[in-house]
Amino acid sequence: MKTLKALRRISQGLFLFLFFYLFLQTESKGFDELGYPVKVFLDLDPLIFLSTLLSSRSIVKLFYLSLVTILITIIFGRVFCGWICPFGTLNNLVGLLKKRETYRFKRFQIKYYILFFLLSASLFTLQFSGLMDPISLLIRSMTVNIYPSFNYAVRAIFDFLYSLDIRVLESVYSIIKRSVLSFEQTFYRQSLFIGGLFLLILGLNLYERRFWCRYLCPLGALLGLLSRYSLLKRSVSEGCNSCGICERNCPSGAINKSQEWLQTECFQCFNCDDLCPQKAVKSGFKEQRGLQVDLTRRQVITYISAGILSVPFIRTTPFLKEEFLNPRLIRPPGSLEEKEFLRRCIRCGECMKVCITNGLQPAFLEAGLEALWTPVLVPKIGYCEYRCTLCGQVCPTGAIRRLSLHEKAKVKIGLAMIDKGRCLPYAHGRPCIVCEEVCPTPKKAIWFERIMIKDRDGKELEIQQPHVDLELCIGCGICEAKCPVVDRPAIYVTSIGESRSKVNQLLLE
Amino acid sequence: MKRRDFLKLTISGFAGLGFNDAFAIFKPAELPDLVVAEGTSHSKVTEKAIEALGGIRRFISRGDVVVVKPNMAWDRTPEQAANTNPEVVKEVVKLCYEAGAKKVKVFDRTVNDPRRVYVQSGIMEAVKKVGGEVFFVDDRRFKEVLINGEAIKTWPLYTEVFEADKVINVPIAKHHSLAKLTMAMKNWMGIMGGSRRQIHQKLDESLADLAMVIKPTLTILDATRILIRNGPQGGNLEDVKVLNTVVAGIDQVAVDSFGATLFGMKGEDLGYVKLAHKRGLGNMNLSKIKIKRIRL
Repeated sequence: MKTLKALRRISQGLFLFLFFYLFLQTESKGFDELGYPVKVFLDLDPLIFLSTLLSSRSIVKLFYLSLVTILITIIFGRVFCGWICPFGTLNNLVGLLKKRETYRFKRFQIKYYILFFLLSASLFTLQFSGLMDPISLLIRSMTVNIYPSFNYAVRAIFDFLYSLDIRVLESVYSIIKRSVLSFEQTFYRQSLFIGGLFLLILGLNLYERRFWCRYLCPLGALLGLLSRYSLLKRSVSEGCNSCGICERNCPSGAINKSQEWLQTECFQCFNCDDLCPQKAVKSGFKEQRGLQVDLTRRQVITYISAGILSVPFIRTTPFLKEEFLNPRLIRPPGSLEEKEFLRRCIRCGECMKVCITNGLQPAFLEAGLEALWTPVLVPKIGYCEYRCTLCGQVCPTGAIRRLSLHEKAKVKIGLAMIDKGRCLPYAHGRPCIVCEEVCPTPKKAIWFERIMIKDRDGKELEIQQPHVDLELCIGCGICEAKCPVVDRPAIYVTSIGESRSKVNQLLLE
Repeated sequence: MKRRDFLKLTISGFAGLGFNDAFAIFKPAELPDLVVAEGTSHSKVTEKAIEALGGIRRFISRGDVVVVKPNMAWDRTPEQAANTNPEVVKEVVKLCYEAGAKKVKVFDRTVNDPRRVYVQSGIMEAVKKVGGEVFFVDDRRFKEVLINGEAIKTWPLYTEVFEADKVINVPIAKHHSLAKLTMAMKNWMGIMGGSRRQIHQKLDESLADLAMVIKPTLTILDATRILIRNGPQGGNLEDVKVLNTVVAGIDQVAVDSFGATLFGMKGEDLGYVKLAHKRGLGNMNLSKIKIKRIRL
């Protein structure tokens, strides 16, 4: 039916638009609350739901929406892949660049093995599913690379025009700025790595359309398993003359050479229905099931075991030794204790997108491979704004707790220390009070000692030397970010004293 | 009063813009140098202070593009007295439009995130209500300005301030650990681009240097709530003292000198005020200037 295919396309367009819209809204407008359900796509995602449930062993309440996805899949099959998933739609669009379907890899099993690996690892508390979950992957790649690149390009063009004194387009620029650009240009570590992987995945569409969706996507696999028993089925009537047009135009590769239908792989896109010259394709709630993906017991056991074994394999890093701490591993305010944090964080990058100062950055190996791409505050890039609680508001799994303004003021993410060898009043006898001036705690965590010093000519002068009050300091890092000793700040934050840790403490309390 | 000001005043007076203005021309010598107005309605206090200084039409002409520069640097709410009182800013903007200003622009280069500062300070909303243009600072519009001062030779400053017909400084009076107090003269740090944190090494000299190139038409010091400790950011209501006062003047050195008295200090206690006075940029000697006090 033409209408179903058209409806599917409209649905894909709408959900992609909704995704981009919410992505753009994942940005501060200056108010305490964000006001948009920016993580709704992650809430819809049953892979995130299931793996978080397994790894954290607790129910994440907002994920009930994913039960809707499960229900839809049981009734209609993988409509999420064909009608909703924004990453699927993007793959679909890139696939249009490929003129004709030529290559068939046909290893549908791979994504199921990836799924088994990820789920069995998460059962044993290793949460890696966000690395490959399509929604998480999309948000992360957009945040860390694609969107900043887009911003860079647009800004560069208009700045160039501005430098040439061509001001006629300034009004156009201000509209673009307000609607689709970020408030300020953002920069991320790992940007090339994460962005490169993303482009590689999209590029695979030129090799075979929707390569990712067919062979790699673990969410697709989970929905495939659920659609084994789905009620909506495809059937072909007597009129079929095996012309093969359906096979060639199937985005999921769910129709084989002999025009048989793989139920677990079908996206319910209705291309075949639409294109069949004989009008022989029918969809309906029938009893006879289609073909299932061919999973061998041996392989299933192999990948489940591999998932389980990956847990001890990855956990032999010294970071699991209690007092082996990376001083620069500063987690966002409200983050759970490190082990619990890693069990929940899916590295979707929502917190990095919303971080008002661009300070939250994806980790590389700062806390071992297990913490790859988890958020770390890098004060030199951006400090933690005292009255901002947005990261906790957008975190889909509660790895970062949602804090009230009152709680936020008390949560320590580290402590500031002064490098007296570089600090202007200490090392060079020059007045400077910037760290104290910007310190946001109501009673300032930086105080001055007035000292008489002599310059090289023996002339006496009074100078204020800063000290950190460790009880008051919350480790927000604004002092480090604004220190005039720009290259290597004379005051810097390390993770010691962070509220979430029992071990990483300094003060006797 | 400069001849040009006098002429403008005369013209506006004869243009029939109100009896008060016309009346003012006949005794310009009687206008005070500073007006100190006190009262619980902060918009009314602002209005009356300007009125007693000769009225807004003494400063703003029809068709003027006006920059109103509040102190809007911190992610704090109005009652915490870290940013200029939004009521005061709003009243100034409103008066400018009443005097026929074409455009009134309001901005500041913030210290905390600009979005939060503009919203949380309450200034953006207040100014927009009366038709003012509030916008974020655009990095491309800082231009290197020759200052040739004692501490600063050149510095990137925000061009809007120099392109505007009239500039009104609307600072708040607050404690500051190095400058001791931050009021009118220090508020101009808000139009400095680049790495302005460096000027703290020679803060007094730098502020006096800035005053050589930035000559506001009018200065309205907001002392409705002043921050007496833990400035310039505050955060604790116990550090806020409610004075319900607005000080209006043309000479920003005199305004700062008077402002110091609100904290129990004198103008000469402030290095930058003393320096600016010495350089002839203004008069810190309060006994030599005419101060008019109003109570509402």
